[in-house]
Amino acid sequence: MSDTNNYLFIGLKIVAWIIFVGLCIEAGGLLVNFIVSLFRPEFVQNLYNTLDLSDMYHHNKWGYFSMYSFILVIAILKAYMFYVVVALVTKLDLTKPFNSVVAGQIRQISYYTFSIGLISYVGREAAQHLQSRGYATDSLQPYWADSQAFILMAAVLYIIATIFRKGLELQTENDLTV
Amino acid sequence: MPIVVNLDVMMAKRKMSLNELSQKVDLTLSNLSILKTGKAKAVRFTTLEAICKALDCQPGDILEYVNES
Repeated sequence: MSDTNNYLFIGLKIVAWIIFVGLCIEAGGLLVNFIVSLFRPEFVQNLYNTLDLSDMYHHNKWGYFSMYSFILVIAILKAYMFYVVVALVTKLDLTKPFNSVVAGQIRQISYYTFSIGLISYVGREAAQHLQSRGYATDSLQPYWADSQAFILMAAVLYIIATIFRKGLELQTENDLTV
Repeated sequence: MPIVVNLDVMMAKRKMSLNELSQKVDLTLSNLSILKTGKAKAVRFTTLEAICKALDCQPGDILEYVNES
């Protein structure tokens, strides 16, 4: 492996760690927001992203809990997906990349990406439905803006996982050729 | 796998150890062991040739087809 590739890989590792920490902070912030908004709604404006849905909470509890469930699940799934990415880049040995652990992790990432895309899509539709009934859901828009991109990325990752599995079979066959 | 490797039988007939065969055919012990235990997925003609030469036998003495059904 060339030096450029090596530096690029180290750079990617650092970026993956930074994104993972960022997503953990986001998921934690949303969780704290959710808990505080239940007991001290007036305090929410001082918290992460000032995500205040207290108006919806007073008028439509079902809508409030479903919206928060969507964004919490998406945030937690994103954080977990990047945990798998970090684990993957940490375990990946570029001199012998094809092993069952890496193949499984790539497949896992594609499943999580698809789940995020699907939940974002359903969340967005639910938010639009609530908006048509007069509730303000604009502040939630950033959480499901990329649903289609996630679904497309899941498809690409699934293809990569399938190719990787085939590569693993070929490498095993090569290793067992005497 | 319907292809059975009878390397151990031929080695026993020639009274040759795995170590000795490994030195004669220039294969690692682990690779020979893979072949002997039937875990190998493929055998190169060059390997087969070297084994046949070392054991003074035919490829058919080492490889056997057994119908599993």
